[in-house]
Amino acid sequence: MHNLLAFFRRFRIFLLFVLLQVLALSTYFTYLSYPRSQYLTSASSVTSSLLETKSSVTKYWNLGVNNRNLQQENIRLRNKIKGSYIRLENSLVKIQDTLYRQQYEYTPCQVINSSVNKRNNFFTLNVGYSQGIKRGMGVFSDKGVVGVIHSTSQHYSVVKSVLTEHINVDVILESSGAFGLLKWDGRDPQIGSISGISNDMKIKKGTKVVTRGGSTIFPKGILVGYIKQLKPIEGKPLWDVSIRFSEDYRSIQNVYVIKNLLKEEQDKIESTIPEEKGE
Amino acid sequence: MNSIITHIFRFIVFILLQGLVLNSLEVGLGIQLMIYPLFIMLLPFDTSVMLLLMSAFVMGFSIDSISNTFGLHTSSLLIVAYLRPFIFNMFSPRDGYDPLKEASIFEMGQRWFVSVFGVLLLIQHFWFFTLEMFNISETFYVFQKTILSVPLSFLLCILLQVIFVTKPKER
Repeated sequence: MHNLLAFFRRFRIFLLFVLLQVLALSTYFTYLSYPRSQYLTSASSVTSSLLETKSSVTKYWNLGVNNRNLQQENIRLRNKIKGSYIRLENSLVKIQDTLYRQQYEYTPCQVINSSVNKRNNFFTLNVGYSQGIKRGMGVFSDKGVVGVIHSTSQHYSVVKSVLTEHINVDVILESSGAFGLLKWDGRDPQIGSISGISNDMKIKKGTKVVTRGGSTIFPKGILVGYIKQLKPIEGKPLWDVSIRFSEDYRSIQNVYVIKNLLKEEQDKIESTIPEEKGE
Repeated sequence: MNSIITHIFRFIVFILLQGLVLNSLEVGLGIQLMIYPLFIMLLPFDTSVMLLLMSAFVMGFSIDSISNTFGLHTSSLLIVAYLRPFIFNMFSPRDGYDPLKEASIFEMGQRWFVSVFGVLLLIQHFWFFTLEMFNISETFYVFQKTILSVPLSFLLCILLQVIFVTKPKER
């Protein structure tokens, strides 16, 4: 017993160091896969109010670009509304459209904190669970896909952005219909890659890449980027496809959170698929 | 008493500077500037290692919570706090350290500061980038990031000392 105490006294500094180090590393590695608490993230109340103040200062830097983007989006949408069209068939009167039902709801919000120079980049949004935001919802901007909600607090949420190691968004090439998973190698915030595209597909540079809409997170057809380069992977029948993101994540501000109203229904029906054993 | 207030002031300034300004700065080539090891460096010579570790832990977690890194900065700062006494011993002057002095570039001289702080900063940056990548195939990229970031961080730290650390009066 005496020896044990002496041991602890002798190595108390090293033990404290190891204890704190383990604490830090375990939060780091577990957080990347699943958030356990919000106290250590920018969604906690102290840091988020700090970041809100910072954002209120820095948002003016990219104001011109962001305003132009929003204006362009407004024009696109304005072109679609009923008032912009002339009725050609006067005899047809629409009474009630029961063929369509709303599937996606969008919550507009601002990015108040973001980074692009880390291996895993997380953004902070100024909406939280009191606005109906939940973990796993998709986030996009008018120019492209942004990420998936990772954790939420009352008024803030943290987004696992596209610039993260295991983001794996389902994407599809608009012209050929080939699909794969979106990846990011941690270097250039403007360049991503797609894995899993078979090399017998004919793919042209500059092809539009959009979300596939297979998972319940993103609807089909949200822009991701354009194909920049194609390289064959040695020893595999696959293309190494690198894409240029359509969104510039360095100056991102206005984004939308997607709520899929039919998510539960799809999850429920998909959970009846029997899982293959041995995988 | 006066020095405690100075250190608390530095503590807050360094956290805000790192969390709000430097972490959102994109230089390119994977460069990331980190200046907070300077705080641990500038704590008095007779600070106990326990206190060093605790303040490193608190500071690291504050920076982590601002920049969504969940423990990465904490881990690398703990390394600095733990190794500081060993490295100070290695580069100890002939008649030991004067507890009244500060470990700044003005009081300890350029040669001492460059070697001691250079080693600490190199270890800290290397540890940070290794953990961040956590992939053997990215070893070269980790080296590139470390080698490019350390000199810039170092220059920034010297600049900060010019601003925040008062020069000793001529004796």
